[in-house]
Amino acid sequence: MNQTMKIIGLFVVLFIVAPLVIVVPMSLSTSPSLQFPPPGYWLGYYQQYFQDPSWLRPTWNSVVIAMANTVLTLLLVVPATFALVRHKFWGKGMANIMMMMPLAVPHIVMAIGYYNFFGQMGIVFTKTGVVLAHTCLSVPITFLVLSANLKGFDQTLERAARSLGATPMQTFRHVTLPILRPGLLVSALFAFIQSFDETVVAIFISGRDAETLPRKMFDSIRQEADPVIAVISSLLFLIVLAALLAPFATRGIKSLGRGVASPTNTRS
Amino acid sequence: MIDHTASIKDRQNLTPWLLLLPLAAYLLIFFFVPLAQVAIMSVTEPQTGLGNYERVLTSPLYQKVFLNTFTTALLVTVCCLLVGYPLAYLMAHTTKKRAMLILMLITMSFWTSFLVRTYSWMVLLGRNGPVSWVFLQLGWDEAPQMLFTRFASTLAMVHILAPYMIMNIYSVMQKIDPSLVRSAESMGARGLSLFRHIYLPLTAPGIANGSVLVFVICLGFYVTPVLLGSPREQMAAGLIGRQIEEFLAFGLGSAMAIALLVITLIILAIYHRRFGLDKLYG
Repeated sequence: MNQTMKIIGLFVVLFIVAPLVIVVPMSLSTSPSLQFPPPGYWLGYYQQYFQDPSWLRPTWNSVVIAMANTVLTLLLVVPATFALVRHKFWGKGMANIMMMMPLAVPHIVMAIGYYNFFGQMGIVFTKTGVVLAHTCLSVPITFLVLSANLKGFDQTLERAARSLGATPMQTFRHVTLPILRPGLLVSALFAFIQSFDETVVAIFISGRDAETLPRKMFDSIRQEADPVIAVISSLLFLIVLAALLAPFATRGIKSLGRGVASPTNTRS
Repeated sequence: MIDHTASIKDRQNLTPWLLLLPLAAYLLIFFFVPLAQVAIMSVTEPQTGLGNYERVLTSPLYQKVFLNTFTTALLVTVCCLLVGYPLAYLMAHTTKKRAMLILMLITMSFWTSFLVRTYSWMVLLGRNGPVSWVFLQLGWDEAPQMLFTRFASTLAMVHILAPYMIMNIYSVMQKIDPSLVRSAESMGARGLSLFRHIYLPLTAPGIANGSVLVFVICLGFYVTPVLLGSPREQMAAGLIGRQIEEFLAFGLGSAMAIALLVITLIILAIYHRRFGLDKLYG
């Protein structure tokens, strides 16, 4: 049983990885119709992507929306996380459920809700509408990441700062914030990705003017494949790959510079 | 002195509320109001009454779609389990370095957008794609139609959701004390009986977490079934989308959406009472 499980496991690794990798050679193919094996290789579709405003505009929209979403989400979630992790109060259980609700409700349900609600407010098909919607959907994941960080926070450090005469504001700026920075960065990253990848709500409420990249991709895939989609898919996949490999690369460079990797640095 | 401490205590009691207020107000306006409006539309559009729900519950078309959604979600969950369990086992029983490598590959898949992963399957299963090519190499005259079938959407959903299952099972399996397995072995447990009496019960919480998560996400899945699935065998979310986009039937779409939401919440509530929801996504 032991061996068979492991062999099946190896096949599963292949099953997980192969579909991700396949888009890269296809994006370099000269054939516009996803032909395998590719009849030839070129970079023409990459050039097409970087020159075509009908693809660049949605990309830019997505970046702007995701950034606004990240800022707004953190402004709302950071204080709330402090309240839920550090304080005991009546109604805490309810508050917890309230924050997790956007994760439990299927996005298609919210898509109808936003289409109707923003329609009444006159902001359907605008970036503002998409940002306001995405912020709700980013709350749970940001909260989960941040609260996990805050729970591991050693509060005696803050108490020490206070006992040495720091004001609450100073303590927050010089003790709490620096320690929490990695957690804040990771939760910001999650909020950004959540918005950048969100497809279903964007399909229904981003319209032509605020069209996001996932919406544009969804539409083109549905209307019979534009080869540029393979280019964007490869780029998105390579960004993820680079982000995952970045810590290893920087560690490698650091250890090269120092000659030997110090054991204290392996924790990062 | 006593007054002073009392005032601090009062302030401390107010602080969490003040910290929570902006988010609570925001979610109330931009999440719960739109959601409530869906519920309202479901009983007011096009006319007041429970007509929409009556149609959703009694019409064979909608019954079929909901049944289809359920069976697909169940199938995807079982497949994710069959795929995820051996992989989690491999990760828990190999060197730390290899386990890290596999974990990284899974994280890579997890972080790649749903849409990109769906598109990858479109490439793989397309008429001129690699899988068809393999069929032709094996001597078939013509590869079978794979795209736009239930097979394609199920396979892609298994691929997309498997990381949730793997991470949940692995996190439990990693913590199993190897001495438990060894002592069972020393008492004569082998193969299947070792698995059934020791391994399976110890990993059950991970299986439960992963399965609920995959099942619930699958119930509301829109993108993949719409792009890869058969138009004749729609899932609930796809049909809700069509009601809005094509037929502008907001009442009917809303009624279906609320039905989907209620089913999802019931499953999560049962799970919450039994295990605690906070463990699900943590």
